[in-house]
Amino acid sequence: MRRLGRLFDTTVYITGIMVSVAVLVMFYYIARESTYAFRQTFSWGYRLALLPGDADSSATPNSAPYSSLVAVNPEGADGLDEKEEVFPAPTIQQMQDESALVATATPLASDLSQIRADTLYRDDWRSPKPAEEGTRVLVLGYAAPGYSLPTMYLAWEPDHSFEPRLASYRLVLRLLRAPEGVSIQPFEIDLRKQPTGRIALPTWVAQTDAERTQGYVFEVAAIPQTSTFWATLRGVLGTEWAPTLIYPRYGILPLVLATTLMSILAMLIATPLGVATALYLSEVAHPRVREWLKPALELIASVPSVVLGYFGLMFVAPALQAWLGQALGMQSGRNLLTTSIILAVLAIPIVASVTEDVLKAVPESLRESAIALGLNHSETLWKVVLPAARAGVVAAVLIGAARVYGETMIVWILSGGTATMPAFHSPVAFAQSLVSSTRGVPDTIAIEMGNVTFESVHYGHLFLLGLVLFCLTVVVNLAALRIGRRQVWRV
Amino acid sequence: MEGVGESTLLTLGAARSGRRSRRMLIDLLFIGGLRAVALLSVVTVLAIIGVIIAKGLPTISWSFLTSPPQEGMTSGGIYPMIRGSVLLMLGTLVIVLPIGVLGGVFLAEYAGQNVFSRFIHASVASLAGTPSVIFGLFGLAVFVIMMQMGVSLLAGCLTLALFTLPAVVFTTENAIRSVPESFIEAGMALGLSRWQILWKIVLPNAMPGILTGVVLSTGRAAGEAPPILLTAGIYYATGSLPRGWDILKQPVANLPYHLAEGYRQGGVIPEAIVWGTCLTLMLFVLIINIWAIMVRVRVRRRQRW
Repeated sequence: MRRLGRLFDTTVYITGIMVSVAVLVMFYYIARESTYAFRQTFSWGYRLALLPGDADSSATPNSAPYSSLVAVNPEGADGLDEKEEVFPAPTIQQMQDESALVATATPLASDLSQIRADTLYRDDWRSPKPAEEGTRVLVLGYAAPGYSLPTMYLAWEPDHSFEPRLASYRLVLRLLRAPEGVSIQPFEIDLRKQPTGRIALPTWVAQTDAERTQGYVFEVAAIPQTSTFWATLRGVLGTEWAPTLIYPRYGILPLVLATTLMSILAMLIATPLGVATALYLSEVAHPRVREWLKPALELIASVPSVVLGYFGLMFVAPALQAWLGQALGMQSGRNLLTTSIILAVLAIPIVASVTEDVLKAVPESLRESAIALGLNHSETLWKVVLPAARAGVVAAVLIGAARVYGETMIVWILSGGTATMPAFHSPVAFAQSLVSSTRGVPDTIAIEMGNVTFESVHYGHLFLLGLVLFCLTVVVNLAALRIGRRQVWRV
Repeated sequence: MEGVGESTLLTLGAARSGRRSRRMLIDLLFIGGLRAVALLSVVTVLAIIGVIIAKGLPTISWSFLTSPPQEGMTSGGIYPMIRGSVLLMLGTLVIVLPIGVLGGVFLAEYAGQNVFSRFIHASVASLAGTPSVIFGLFGLAVFVIMMQMGVSLLAGCLTLALFTLPAVVFTTENAIRSVPESFIEAGMALGLSRWQILWKIVLPNAMPGILTGVVLSTGRAAGEAPPILLTAGIYYATGSLPRGWDILKQPVANLPYHLAEGYRQGGVIPEAIVWGTCLTLMLFVLIINIWAIMVRVRVRRRQRW
């Protein structure tokens, strides 16, 4: 019997310790999975072309027939299969009528001496890409014999959806070698400061195919400035969340700000309603009324949030759209405001229930003294009971806010789903972003986790988002616990 | 007082009575306001539930609840989803009950009152406040990928068990703490050891509270979509399930997942079926709640302490 008792004791201790470290274990694993975000390789893409010397300023490398895409993508994310990726550089014969051309050479990132005129390619899509910071790609420039103008332009622009200003490394375009007999100042252009542009060059004509490698040699190089870790963190703090682009962007600020705005708005609605309901239940209502009202209020806490979300979708969103859509310029009923309203519905019973417990704990003697001093009922509540319960009420609001902050399904169904930064520059723009489609942190995790490759960079970033959410809610909950504990009555 | 004239005194009196009536007015308005706001809250709650019942009830029939979906979710019933939710809930119950109850016993009887116990409380409280999607992430990383369970009923039950754990621990702790001190003292007077007191006196008396609390929280958890979304769900469900333990390795369709994934797939499910599913899910949770509350009330009535 005693041995059995000891066994029981041991089991209880082990379980207890397991339970109490569960949150740490969860934190550890979520943090561990988020390290996949830091295994990213950075990709960049630039389009370069030689334009004729008389080209007007609207001409872009895109419109040039022989433009080159200098792209360094991870894992062939350019979406072309191998066959399409072979673009042999045109021979002089082929381009007799054309004016000018830029070609990249294979092998890409190596030195000039390895470039052979008989294996020239127009771009680098075909080759295996060392998609790391510090890649350099060589680009050859020459004109065909048919070209007669004295100058030509080297023009450059970022590849579609690539944003050099966000690059966490220095991207430079420089003249590596000028052809013999051409005098030109060497130049080096910081592509982050000057994403698009062009520069005039004296014409150089390749007379034969072999001469194609003798002309201008430009270099596009990514020069790392920080470690991958800091570069990833910098990316995470960006203002754009677009993980499915060819050049993905993982800025979490729009998501975090949207969730924060929703929660603040929801709590602005839920706090007065919840606290007032609690005051009524605990201080005003007849006991028999309370007996019915309290369970009724608790019913909503047991309605699954996905059902609340559908209720909002099929009932509140259309109603709001019909009622306020014209006046506020709403494009759809699914927006930040609607989400906040339904979130408030979720938060009211939580705030009310916790606040009511706090109010009940306010000692009766305080109320009695207030009445003895001649205060009437509302003054007693407003000047004595509520201030006495202040810390607890704050805790109740924080608990409600943490619950709302992590709510997934309501936001998923109602927010509309576009990740955009809320506008803060003017009140009108801010109001506009309150009634436009948005996207929060928890719903992004739930939605995108369904389509993501496990243990990829995107997967890692979703865990990183989870880690941010986890930390925020834990901090808010612990704050609520601490503030709530301040309220200890010694009577 | 000499400097104060009669008229001043009169004015003061008038002002006082004026202030009193203003005070009464404010009092009336304040209390009335509270009444109105409370009424608004409760009416909102009941209206939402009412709307869902009104919209969902026409769809619900015996065949809706007992037949599988047909023609790519566009007709038929939701039987596999109901079955999946029940399975998930039962599995969660089985896993969380021993761990949660022992954890609660630990907090109530073993942890004492010191820095350590405060740390444990804070830790369980943070777990309780953690968003459900975080549990989904954890379940995905650890159960589904690391332990190679795949998206399965077992992974879903484990995730949901972790999700309900803090609630079960706190419920157990409260139930144990509400067993009167005199019972324990009586046990001590009879010379029982600590674990005998626990086993023979505390736990039997606390059990009804514990059980209803556990059922309540697992019922609520069964209505949460995010943990299941990443660990246990499947959209196209068939009517049959494998026999025996193999069932644990299979993903299961369930009510919240059906609603969430149905939304992701973009409105394939007709509105009537959606409302019907919403109502079924709500009733699923509500019936469990009401049952638990009724049991609690009956137990309270029987034990007079």
